[in-house]
Amino acid sequence: MVVDEKIKNKIVSEEITESSENPYLKKLKDFFEEISSLTLFALRFFKEVVRPPYEFKEFVKQSYLIGYKSFPLVAITGLIMGLVLTIQSRPTLAQFGAESWLPAMVAVSIIREIGPVITALIFAGKVGSGIGAELASMKVTEQIDAMEVSGTNPFKYLVVTRILSATIMLPVLVVAADAISLYGAYIGVNLEGDVSFHLFFLQVFEKLSFADVFPAIIKTFFFGFMIALLSCYKGFNANKGTEGVGQAANSAVVLASLSIFIIDMIAVQLTNLFI
Amino acid sequence: MKKSTGNKMKLGIFVSISITLFIVGIYFIGARQQLFSSTFQISGIFRDISGLQVGNNVRFSGINIGIIENIEQITDSTVKVDMVINEDTRKFIKKNAKAIIGSDGLMGNKIILIIPGPVGKKELNNNDTIETAQAVSMDDILIKIKVTADNAASITNDLAIIMQSISEGKGTVGKLLMDSTLAHTLEGAIINIKQGAGGFKSNMDAAGNNVLLRGFFKKKNKEKEKEKEKEAEKK
Repeated sequence: MVVDEKIKNKIVSEEITESSENPYLKKLKDFFEEISSLTLFALRFFKEVVRPPYEFKEFVKQSYLIGYKSFPLVAITGLIMGLVLTIQSRPTLAQFGAESWLPAMVAVSIIREIGPVITALIFAGKVGSGIGAELASMKVTEQIDAMEVSGTNPFKYLVVTRILSATIMLPVLVVAADAISLYGAYIGVNLEGDVSFHLFFLQVFEKLSFADVFPAIIKTFFFGFMIALLSCYKGFNANKGTEGVGQAANSAVVLASLSIFIIDMIAVQLTNLFI
Repeated sequence: MKKSTGNKMKLGIFVSISITLFIVGIYFIGARQQLFSSTFQISGIFRDISGLQVGNNVRFSGINIGIIENIEQITDSTVKVDMVINEDTRKFIKKNAKAIIGSDGLMGNKIILIIPGPVGKKELNNNDTIETAQAVSMDDILIKIKVTADNAASITNDLAIIMQSISEGKGTVGKLLMDSTLAHTLEGAIINIKQGAGGFKSNMDAAGNNVLLRGFFKKKNKEKEKEKEKEAEKK
């Protein structure tokens, strides 16, 4: 009886300590806990990805859904991006009488920065929210638990396949978006000028170098990985019922978009350092 | 099952097209950097490379024929620049050709211009060192412009002094332009010359009617008429 009383007192005192804790300190604690569980989640991915059995069929299915199904959206965005960038850049270059530099300037902008970043943002919006909402609804309806009970590894089946697909499909989408953007730029150049298709692409490749292409493509692998990792993490750890589904989808997109800019900043610094 | 195969097919086509686009892009960029064509290497020694960088173009007769592969400082006043040149152009670049550092337009990148020498010499071999000439740099041009501007300032200064002297009526030109007395005197002189010329004409008319001189004037008139007739015949 005395022991019960002691335990009761201890629980009450802990509750009082927690409620009287500084809210900023609590937020900081939550933040570090989130970082820690995200790191463990990422490490689990690297552990599961190399361990058989491999879910190849699911990987192809996810690649189709994540990559191929995103292509129309990415293509339209890419075309408009190239067109608008060219139209907006023309007046400034015209002031210096340097309109002939338009294809080269637009190409460098698209290949180095705008193509990868805008495509990744579109991808985060479409795929990130999709993965976040899908996994979160599976979690709150206990489908993930059911998979575990039936002997399927849900992490391997749901998370590994999606992260791998996104990591591989985003660079493929970026290459396609770059090509379509350049075509958009060609249309933009010809709205007020007269440059042949051949001359346009000669001028584009005249100013491009491997240092423009490779770092831009390499960083898209990291974009794809982070978008899928954060979306899967948010979806896989969703709670609070149906409300949690919306929250997971929302925070997946926000975090994925933010991570794109952070990775981009690091990539630019590293590129400048080594090339 | 059928749908799954169709999806796989679509995904395969999409990925293949993207990879092909990537490879084509890489090929075009590589081709510009002479990666996929047969090349030979030459080098040139410069005193000042004016900001030339690895990867800049080498141009011959206005055509890009290669790129700068390496830049190396060999002494405190000399820099060795290695160039990779397209093999197809080797037959046109002779041993007496000269390399100078130029610029691609007013704001463009630095480039190396290979200027052909007189014909007759042998073509360059692999790893040969090409003759170089120091191009006129922007700094040289600015120094010359400064000298010209100093001279122009000195001239305008002198002109200002002269103009002031003229406006004050000093010197011959100043007096001519600004002195009203001289203007009146000149006007009088011109009137006198006019009157003198009128008198001279009257004298000449009188001489033409004089018995002693009439023959001379008639002879003169006949010669004039003959000349006119000759000219008319010629025409």
